[in-house]
This record gives sequence, C-alpha cells and structure tokens, in this order.
Amino acid sequence: MAKYAMAVDLGRCQGCRACMEACKIENNTPQGVFWMYVFRTETGEYPHTKLDFMPRPCQQCNNPPCVKVCPVGARFQREDGIVLTDYDRCIGCRYCEVACPYGVNYYNWRTPEEAFADYGTDYGDPQVAAVTGGLIPPYKNPDLARLQGKEQRLTAGSAHNVGVMEKCTFCVQRVDKGLEPACVDVCPVHALHFGDIEDENSPISQYINQRTGFKLLEELGTEPSVFYLNGTPPGPDTREIERPLTEVGS
Amino acid sequence: MPEITRRTFVKVSAAAAGTTAVASKFLFGGLETVQHTDSLLLAQQLQEDTVHTTCWIGKQDCGIVARRIDGRVIKLEGLEAHPKNRGTLCPKGTAQIAAVYDPQRIKTPLIRTNAKGQTGEFRAASWDEALNLIAEKTKPVLEEDPKLFLWQKGRSKAKAFYDKAFVKATGATKLGHGAYCSDAGYRAAEYNLGCHGVLHPDFKETRYLLSWGWNITAAGGNKTCWITWPQQMLDAKEKNGLKIVQIDPRLRPAGPHADEWLPIRPATDMAFALALCRELIQLGYLDEPYLKKFTNSPYLTGPDGLFLRAEVPADAEEGTVGKALVFDLTTGATAPFDEADDPALTGAYVIDGVTVKPSFQLFIEHVESYTPEWAADICGTTPDRVRGIAEEFGRQAQIGSTKVVDGIEIPYRPVAIMAYHMAQQELGFQTLRAMISVAMLVGAPGAVGGQLVDFTWKVHKNYAKFENLSVKEGPYDYTLGKSKFFPINTGFPGILTKVMQDPAKYEVEKLPKIAMLHYVNPLTAFPSQADFLKTYGMFEFLSVLTPWLSETADYFADVVLPAATMEKYEGPSSASDQYIDGKTIRLPVMDPLFESRGEIDIYIDLCERLGVLYGEGGYIDQVNKNLPLKDEFALPLDEKPDVRDIFDRWSRMEGLEGGIEFFEKNGVWIKGPVSAKKRYGYATETPFGGAVHRLYGESLLVAQNKQKELGADEVYYRDYTAFPTWRTPTFEQSPPEYDLTLISYHLVVHKQSRTSMIPLLTELSGKQRLDMNPQTAERLGITEGDEVIVESQNAVTGETRQLRTVVALSSGFRPDVVGMPHHFGGWSPKNNKGLGPSPNEIFYTGEGYMACTADQSYHVKVRVLKG
Repeated sequence: MAKYAMAVDLGRCQGCRACMEACKIENNTPQGVFWMYVFRTETGEYPHTKLDFMPRPCQQCNNPPCVKVCPVGARFQREDGIVLTDYDRCIGCRYCEVACPYGVNYYNWRTPEEAFADYGTDYGDPQVAAVTGGLIPPYKNPDLARLQGKEQRLTAGSAHNVGVMEKCTFCVQRVDKGLEPACVDVCPVHALHFGDIEDENSPISQYINQRTGFKLLEELGTEPSVFYLNGTPPGPDTREIERPLTEVGS
Repeated sequence: MPEITRRTFVKVSAAAAGTTAVASKFLFGGLETVQHTDSLLLAQQLQEDTVHTTCWIGKQDCGIVARRIDGRVIKLEGLEAHPKNRGTLCPKGTAQIAAVYDPQRIKTPLIRTNAKGQTGEFRAASWDEALNLIAEKTKPVLEEDPKLFLWQKGRSKAKAFYDKAFVKATGATKLGHGAYCSDAGYRAAEYNLGCHGVLHPDFKETRYLLSWGWNITAAGGNKTCWITWPQQMLDAKEKNGLKIVQIDPRLRPAGPHADEWLPIRPATDMAFALALCRELIQLGYLDEPYLKKFTNSPYLTGPDGLFLRAEVPADAEEGTVGKALVFDLTTGATAPFDEADDPALTGAYVIDGVTVKPSFQLFIEHVESYTPEWAADICGTTPDRVRGIAEEFGRQAQIGSTKVVDGIEIPYRPVAIMAYHMAQQELGFQTLRAMISVAMLVGAPGAVGGQLVDFTWKVHKNYAKFENLSVKEGPYDYTLGKSKFFPINTGFPGILTKVMQDPAKYEVEKLPKIAMLHYVNPLTAFPSQADFLKTYGMFEFLSVLTPWLSETADYFADVVLPAATMEKYEGPSSASDQYIDGKTIRLPVMDPLFESRGEIDIYIDLCERLGVLYGEGGYIDQVNKNLPLKDEFALPLDEKPDVRDIFDRWSRMEGLEGGIEFFEKNGVWIKGPVSAKKRYGYATETPFGGAVHRLYGESLLVAQNKQKELGADEVYYRDYTAFPTWRTPTFEQSPPEYDLTLISYHLVVHKQSRTSMIPLLTELSGKQRLDMNPQTAERLGITEGDEVIVESQNAVTGETRQLRTVVALSSGFRPDVVGMPHHFGGWSPKNNKGLGPSPNEIFYTGEGYMACTADQSYHVKVRVLKG
C-alpha cells in the first residue's frame, strides 16, 4: 500500500502562487478559501533582509489531531495516509479547526453560490449560462461530487456545502486516478513533489533523502507527511508580506 | 417511518433534487450536504476530452491541455511536451479559464451613443453594422492619406503576421507597446551587438549573473518568460552553482534566490555599469583578442570623434564609405580594420599631422573618472561593493578559456547580465549600452555561458540601419520618425500625445485623423494618463478591438469589436526554451463565446469592406508574405480565406503531415536542439554574423551633430554620445521636499492592465499598495495599512500629480524609494473598480521623462503625505 507524502523544495519556490490558483480551480474553492497557501515572508532589517516563500497545504499528519477530535468520524485518515473529510458525516462542529495547529481548515458558512458571489462575477449571466449550463463556478469539476476510494465516501471537496468543514485533500480525486495533486502538477519551478514515501526507490523518497529539511511544527508530534527541504522554518521575527485578498496586498 | 441516515438522504436527494433544500433545512438546520447541481452532474453520462492549445493571457504562449466536460472547459493544465513550460503553468495561465467565461466580456459589437471623454454609453450592434461603420469612416482617410490612419496595438500574441498584413494592406501608421517596455534595450543590443533582444544569460553554462531590475522571479526574461526563465535559473543554481547578484532597490525580485543584494538608487544603473567598466580595465580583465577582432575598439578616431577611414576608390559607388583604419602594431602603420595583423587598442598616433587614438583608448579615458568612489556616491552603495562585483565578474569570466560544444571549440565566458526592463529609464538606451560594454570588455557576448541576446545569434536589420541614423529636416510625421528629436525612434504613443497637444513645437503638420486600437489600453497601461486623456478624444473616429471594454474604449471608442480570448486560432508561436526549438499554434478550446470573434476573422471581414482584401498587395497577399505562405501553399488572392485553412497551409508547408491536425493531436512541434553554431556568436558561419560590435558609437555622434545642425534643443541630443555618458537624470532635479523616488514593477500574477478584472488573480495579489521601508514610515509617522497621498512632481514643468493608496511595509526596500506594482487603476469592466490607482497616473512623459530613443521612463520624485 502506498503512503503519500509531499516534498516542498524551499530552495526552488519562487512564491508565485500558481499552486494556490491551480488548487482553487481544481477544487472549486470560493474566494478567500486557500486549501493551499503560500506565505511570503521577510526576516531581519534593511539591508540585511531575508525573504522567503513557504507553500502550506494540509500537512496530512500521521498523528492527526483533527481526526482525534472529530466526534462523528467524518475526519479520517486513509490507509494511504491522506487525511480526508467525509462530507456526508461532517456536522460542522469545527473541532478539527481548533485542533489543527496549521490553520488549514475552512468552515463553509454559505452556499457555494453565495460564496462565489464574493468574486463579483455574475456567473448566472444568461449568455454565460448558455455555455456553462449555469454551473457555478463555470469551471465546476464533476469529480468533486464523486465518491472516492475503496471506502466510497464523499471526500473530494463535494460542493463546498454549507455547514461542513473542508481542507486540502491532496486532490484525492486526482490521486485516485493516478495523477499528482493539482498544486504539484502545476508548479512552474518544480518545487513541489508528490509520491509514495514508503517505497524508498520512489522519486519522492530519493528527492527527500538527498536533501536536508524539516517538518512544520514537528515538535507537536503531528508527524506531517509534508517535507520542507532546502530551507529553514519561520522564526519568531518572521513577518508575512503580500497577503492575498488584502487592501494593501501585504 | 424508516430511519433516515445522512447516507440514505444523499441517495434520496439525488432522485428528488427539488425537495433537497427544504428537507436539509428541516432535518439538519443549515446543512446542505448535497447540491442539486452535483446530483445532476452525476446523473448524466459525462463526455470528457482534452484540447491542445496555448496560453493566451501571458507573454510566451506556453503549451496547454484544456480538460473539457461535455465541451465545457473545466481546467487548463500545462502541456508536458512544450519546452517552454514542461507541463506546468503560472497563476495567470491557470486562472485565464475565468477570463474565458467572464460575463464582463463584451458580448456584441458596440456603437457609442454618448459624447466621448466620459464613461461610455453604447448600444449593441451587429457585426455588419459595426464593420460597415468602421469601413465608412476609414475609407476616405485611406484615400486622402493612409498614414493618417493610426493603428495601435499592445503586445502582439503569437506571430504578428495578421497585424502586419492589416497595416501593410491599409498603409496605416503603426504604433506598438515597446516604448513602454524594453525597446530601448533592444535598440542598445542592436546597436552594439547587432542582435534583436535584451540581455540574456546562457543558463546551461553561466556561472555568475548580474540580475538587474525587477524581473527574475516576477516576470522572467526577455525571450523566455517567467516559467522557462526561473526553471533554467534554478537548474543552473543547482547544477552549476550559478551565483546571482540582484541589483535593484527591491530585494523582492530575486528574493531568496539572490546570493547578494545590491540595492542601488533608481536610475543610477549607468553609473554602476561605467564604474564596472573602469574597474575591469584597471584590473586587466580584458579580452583583447575579442576586442581587436570583433569590435570597433581598435578603430582610429580623430579629434572630431569620427573614425579615420581609407580613401574610397574613384570608381566606387556613390555613398561608399571608406573602411575604418586601425594602427597595425606589426607593421607600425595604419591599415583597414580587416587587413591588420595586430591592431592597437591603446596609444596615440600621429597620422598626417593629426593625433588619432584607437576608440578603446578613448574608452579608457572616458571611464577614467568613473571610479568606484564616484559610483558608490551616486548609487548609494560602497566603493568596496563596486570593486568586489567588478573583480568577481572579471575573474569568473575566465578570459582566454574555451569549451567544446557540439564539437566546436568556443570561447567560454560564464558571466552574463540580465537587464530586461532596465531600459525603462531616461538614460535607458545608454544605460543598456554601458551594461553591454561591461560584457564586451571580457569578451562575453556570444560566448559559451556568456552574454546572449536572442535564442540564436542573428544580425537584425537595425544593425546596418544604425550605421547611418537618418536625421531629416521637418516637417515630420506624427511619430517623429527620422526627426531631429529622436534619431532612433521605434514609435512612442507618449510622444504622440505631446505632438497632438503641440504639433508646431515638433514641426508636425498632419495629425492622425482616425485610429484603431487593438488590445491596447493606453489610459491605464501607459504613462501618462493625463496626456492620453487630453488627446485620445481628438481622433475623428476611434475603433477598438478588445475582449473587455478597456478604459480607453470606455472613454473614447466610437465602435468596439468583441475579440475572442483563447477560443480562436492564432500563431505560429515559438516553443523554444533557447535550447530546444519548437513551434506551436493556439487552437480554439471552444467556439468563441458570445458574439466575439478571432482577430484574423475580424480583419478579413474588415478588409473586404475596405476593399483591400483581394488581389496583389491586399490583405490575403500580405498574409502570404508575412506568415509567410509560399508557392502551392499560398492563399489564392481572390478567395476569402478560412482561418483554420491558413494554419493548415502553414503546417503543411513546414512539412507536417496532417497539417493543422498535427497540432490538434500533439499541441507542439518539437524541431530539436538549437545547435551551438546557431546559439553562440563566436560559432556562427561568419562569427557574430559578420557584425562588428560597436563599443564606440560613431553614428550616434554623427546623429548628434546633425541634430545640432538642425537646431534641436539639447534635451534631444545630449544623450546621443559615442560612449554612454553619465548625467544626473532629470527627475532628480525636483525640489528636495519630494524626497522619495517612486518606481513601479510587475507582479507575477498579473499582466499589465489586462488581468486585474479577473478576481481569481486579484485574490492572490491583493489590491494596490505603496511599498515603503519601515524606517521611512517611522520618519513619516506612517504605519502598515495607512492611507496616504502620493504626490509626484515634474522637474521640468513643475506640475504635480497625486494618487491615494495604502502603505505596505517592507524591509526589502531602499529607504529612499517607494514602489507600486504597475497594475490596477481601472474602472471598466466593473471588477477593475476599487482595486486602487495605477502609478501611471502620477508618472510623466515627454522631455525629461523619456529616453533619447523615445521610450518611457518610470522614475519620478514623490512625497508621501498622510491621507
């Protein structure tokens, strides 16, 4: 059985956020929801400033606090390591959001139609609807509504229903087809790598073994499946710049 | 009643979708576990397929696979086989799916119903009506003087054959976007080296890179856009230990990829480059064989600054110029440059009683005073850093070494300069010449690992043209081509706005009567907005081809034609990553949305109505000439072409079996590796294509003399100097209360003014902001997020301009510099609203704020006031 992991080569990342965009389109997330997030940060004072980029998907922990606190068994880890939400079971209690130290969980307060309206784009426009069948968003991915894996559970993003939690799924709908997650597939500088970490000959195992790295907040015992290579973790003086969706862009 | 589990509810809801919302509300409060649309999607047998196409929104036409469900595109992914993007895409490439489906696009042709100069009111029109109206307004102008028809475009997507065909068939005057981009850099490279492009490294071999400006992680390079460029840069760092020195007031362009950051003052780049030249000479890092054999460095130059030339035989053709003479150290006498055994680079020689010197000797004397101390003072750095970089550049150049590539032994100089957009300054042309001089001293141009310019080492036609710059007496045409104002001038809409406001000043008699804008939006994309606002309403008739109602169309268009986005044929485009050559064609991912149409279709129909479609010299003929389509593949001149057929013929002519079907099936045509004989100037059939590299710009001096003779003001001739010569840029003469320099730059998720209406991208970028160093903010009593007024001052006219934005603090900024991305500032379409202003609103154009080659400068002094 494969065990999936992601490697983030911080030595290559240019902070372009293509991974965020590909994730949003593949997974049809509404405005302000970033299952993949790229931090752009500064440390130090001029002229000794240090600039860094750090993509942060769900860390897909092997000791996942979110699974432990889920009262209804909606949050679970598959045998292949992917931590998922069963949208049929989730009751939206948000315990997972509190338990997760990485801030990767999003709660759906509104219907997708309401949430997508934040983009200020009228996808109900009749002339657009004539081409898209009125789907919102027009690039709606049918795979997200399909049951996934041998459990046949609704885990791939569903339709961002009101009242449930959602987060990065490692693009389970792609992985189950033998594809890489959308963020890994799109990465223009090949900073993201994905594969079977249990197979020591797999490209990702070799990639990780040849480089030094760290795991995010590893000291918490979460045992993440995301490996950060060729970089250092953010420190207490690290400041985020250029936040998305903000008035000042920083 | 059976027990209802949430699982069974899912199944029930799929069958009875109509009741789902009510039932879910009743059973689970706010939960809506299943959406109707999902059920419907699942209920159908979905047809999935993929279409090969290319990116439309960005610069370099990356290969794309469009995933479609029942003909609806749901995702754009990178095409693995395409050398430029190797299966990946940038944020713009992925997000353009939202551009395709954007309901803000223009859906039908539009005809204006209110007065110009304000938010437009338009009525929908048929294509027939709109095209007939354009034809009716255009025909009389073409009959009177076709040059009075101005055709203006932004960046041409793919090969510009269909644009050229329209311009040629109508005889229109063409203006492009290059004067706002990097044209001054192109001109410098064409002038000094002969190649068409700006400075580019040879990533497979370069070991030391001076990365100048905002490009490297924000926009990539000149010939390879972001994706190809950073991929190769990162591979070079990992495989060869490439060292990158980032020279820019901002750290952000290189970020963690800079090995060294040198934040010099804006617009002092020439001073830095000249000091590097001086230090390389002082340290003896000179490639004498290159300088002697392939440059005009040995040419003997008289006191008048002109080359000493051999006498012209009596029977020579009129206008023949004698060969430049050099001093041959072997014979101790002068000889034509191509006959000397060992030409002198230094010294002074008395020939016929006149003291003459090799132009290289003049260069040594010219840069003598440009010491590291001098440059450090101007640039705001330390002499040690100037020396350090010069020393490392010289040492890393490994002068004298060679490397065998493709079986050919070629000089190996693994040092290069990246300076794509450094031309965007008042001294732009000469600044780039100074940078090229740095590379020339160590023999890097065209060497393995050295200074490349284009993918292949080809000599552009401008190289020969620049031997004699045409400077004529007025009156001039409204682009001021061949004028005493701009002996080098590739077309600058900014100067057109000045000419239109005061034609007499520029000795222009005839202004453009009508204009057509093709996907260009001067009002927000170009400085200066105030000048475009004053002048673009002066056209008797303005038509605009654009997918969205641009701000310029909103204010000034009489007719707007809806162009398709990626739902059309366009091409061919280069698929080369500089090492692997290839070609691709943009294929429609679906039928054009709404009533939009591909541009080629539009031009064909318009030319038919203008009476310039058929026959010799007509649009079809020009397509044949410019694509080109030759022999049996040429389009018949009496038959209205089909666009797919145009590309099918081209593909067949190129020998591709199946014609256009080859691209439909494969997406890209890989032609194979670019050989060393094509890439490296030293290795071409005749080295460097036979071009003598011009360290010394004799013809620039000749042009200056002519400018003076014709009474041009100093502001126009002062930078036409044989060597790049430092002067303090005009903007620095603003009063001292304007204590900060404003620069603008590019964000990786946007493309000029054409993407901010796509909320998926603006979501990633955030809105407009003013970047400021925290030290500066503290001095001004400003904190992160504060609203401020940024006021610029024109040092020539005294005019001030203001904009309002919010502050973003960054320690990666020089404290005496503030910056804004050059995006945003729009109001049409509606999603452009509320994103904040464009810095183009407070930049200036015209004298003091443009280069001597009629290119825009993006530097201005500002003060920042609490809002």
